[in-house]
Amino acid sequence: MEVLLGITGKDFTIIAASKAAMRGATILKASDDKTRALNPHTLMAFSGEAGDTVQFAEFIQANVQLYSMRNGMELSPAATANFVRGELARALRSRRPYTVNLILGGYDTITDKPTLYWIDYLASCAPVPYAAHGYAQYYCLSLLDKHHHPDISFDQGMKILRMCTEELKRRLPIDFKGVIVKVITKDGIREQEYEDDVKVVVP
Amino acid sequence: MDSLVARYTRPAYEEEGQSHQDQQELSRAGPELSLKFALPPVAQSASWLRAMTDDYSNPNCPIKIAHGTTTLAFRFKGGIIVATDSRATAGNWIASQTVKKVIEINNCLLGTMAGGAADCQYWLAFLGMQCRLHELRHKRRISVAAASKILANLVYSYKGMGLSMGTMCAGVTPQEGPALYYIDSDGTRLAGNLFCVGSGQTFAYGVLDAQYSYDLSDEDALELGRRSILAATHRDAYSGGSINLYHVKEDGWVKHGFNDTNPIFWETKLNKGEFSNVTSELV
Amino acid sequence: MSRRYDSRTTIFSPEGRLYQVEYALEAISHAGTALGILAQDGIVLAAERKVTSKLLEQDTSAEKLYILNDNMICAVAGMTADANILINYARQAAQRYLLTYNEDIPCEQLVRRLCDLKQGYTQHGGLRPFGVSFIYAGWDPQRQFQLYQSNPSGNYGGWKATSVGANNASAQSLLKQDYKEECDLKEACGLAVKVLSKTMDSTKLSSEKIEFATVGRTKSGKIYHHLWGADEIDALLKEHGLAKAEDTERDEL
Repeated sequence: MEVLLGITGKDFTIIAASKAAMRGATILKASDDKTRALNPHTLMAFSGEAGDTVQFAEFIQANVQLYSMRNGMELSPAATANFVRGELARALRSRRPYTVNLILGGYDTITDKPTLYWIDYLASCAPVPYAAHGYAQYYCLSLLDKHHHPDISFDQGMKILRMCTEELKRRLPIDFKGVIVKVITKDGIREQEYEDDVKVVVP
Repeated sequence: MDSLVARYTRPAYEEEGQSHQDQQELSRAGPELSLKFALPPVAQSASWLRAMTDDYSNPNCPIKIAHGTTTLAFRFKGGIIVATDSRATAGNWIASQTVKKVIEINNCLLGTMAGGAADCQYWLAFLGMQCRLHELRHKRRISVAAASKILANLVYSYKGMGLSMGTMCAGVTPQEGPALYYIDSDGTRLAGNLFCVGSGQTFAYGVLDAQYSYDLSDEDALELGRRSILAATHRDAYSGGSINLYHVKEDGWVKHGFNDTNPIFWETKLNKGEFSNVTSELV
Repeated sequence: MSRRYDSRTTIFSPEGRLYQVEYALEAISHAGTALGILAQDGIVLAAERKVTSKLLEQDTSAEKLYILNDNMICAVAGMTADANILINYARQAAQRYLLTYNEDIPCEQLVRRLCDLKQGYTQHGGLRPFGVSFIYAGWDPQRQFQLYQSNPSGNYGGWKATSVGANNASAQSLLKQDYKEECDLKEACGLAVKVLSKTMDSTKLSSEKIEFATVGRTKSGKIYHHLWGADEIDALLKEHGLAKAEDTERDEL
């Protein structure tokens, strides 16, 4: 019941991840951050097997940062996505694969375009205008199919995100404790304040 | 003597082509009917059925039941919108693209089918018969509440024996106004404003919830129903074919077409710029 | 005396010099000249080819200019055999990067990879350094058109115009004189043949004696690299009045 969402627009990428850290029938933490900044313009959100997620994310984070230090330049979001996919594919055929699903949001400062990559634990990687993982896929993709356009403004993007999170609140049987929202633009990554206490009712 | 009389006397209406047994059956809506069905000669019929038909755990199972659907219905100020897709699948096989998943029980009552196609078709036809009998017996149309209850009690009597149905009954009666009920083969029966049923339900909910309101105009409500089914046929592999659309009003239901999804999809994409993830560019 | 310090690459002399590296540089200064010029819309590489015999098959392959990657070419001065090893290494490194990141390796990174390898042979004992200098021409989205040069020590640098090999001192000063920063590729090609004609021993040039390559951008914005054919080189020489007399005769036939 972990929620990962990604939406691109005219000059931004929004990433949202649920705040609940769940183990079995217990919520251990209600302010979990399931994202890691890989470099100033790439953010990775992750869900999946407990333990694997953070281990893998921080392993990738370390390698992408090492690249920046060695080469004095950022790895582009596209290159990062391919690198992550490669590492996941390598792990997949190893003795103990990582069971991690990812959404990679970024802003390409060279082409001046927002980017979003959908990657699953079987190392499928696809560039997409909007993305979701887990049960959020079932509720939000149809909604995004209808309301998303490639050149939406940031406010429109946040409005669509609001529609998504409200639908999830309405229909998901388990409380995911709201979402943490981060935005990637040409100026870098920032956390976006997000009202979580809106009451949603089932019609 | 009595036994002799009994043996040679026939019921008066046998010549009308129906046996005494049938007669009795028709006058009774109770669940005893269930016992008339030939059941497989095994102790646990439900688990036997599962072993024969559950193609998720056993892809080589001998019987593949037709499953997978998207159906929706919602109440609004102008009545009730009922919309379905038209695909029937058996495992990965598309068995049909032109299934009528809305059963016209009578001119004021509609039923939708999701789940096992045969189960739904049979029992909704049965429900239609019961509703007609109710009408004849009581000289007024059955309420939606009663009709749905007949179906709910019926499927409940078969609980655990492998029935697979998710249906909605929608109708307008003078005493109830527009009424919508959800009934599934677990025995659940719920009255409500808005339901989506089937493998594509979540996708339909996504679109429907976002713009649903009780005060929708007739046109907006019809469009929302159509668009929600379209969303589901786009994302759910087991839904597709055509969109079957109905509007139930106080003086009966009105059919709003049985239209192929494909041209509707491209029209929606090209004219409204939706479905922006569908591109012709190769990456 | 010098025997004590120059038999091994890993040993500094008392003056703080690595003799083997200096000898390698010396070997290169006898090789055919190669030069590169950076223009606004591209880069030109040109090299003198030492024709050793009339019997030698001329058009089998380029011996001074090589393609490293989709976005990069290089000119070689020095031992061709050593260069082959390094070029093979560079091509593999570029492909490995492409496999990992699904995009072309940035030019400087490829140069550095090669130079790291070269440097290794000036430090780890028992082996001689690579006797090759390179001029690299490439393009990447971050820094657009780029020109680099590297030598056997493993040093490298970015240049606007540079040369290696025989007479490189005079080539360098000619470049310094005539290079204009806002020149386009066509002007750069002209400058390249002009410099080459002055630094080469023979006064008249021909397509047998030089190799030519350019990196540029097509009208549609795509980056291309191109090793020139004999006819293209001859046409360029003719345009600048540097072609051999018999070549023009042959044209008239």
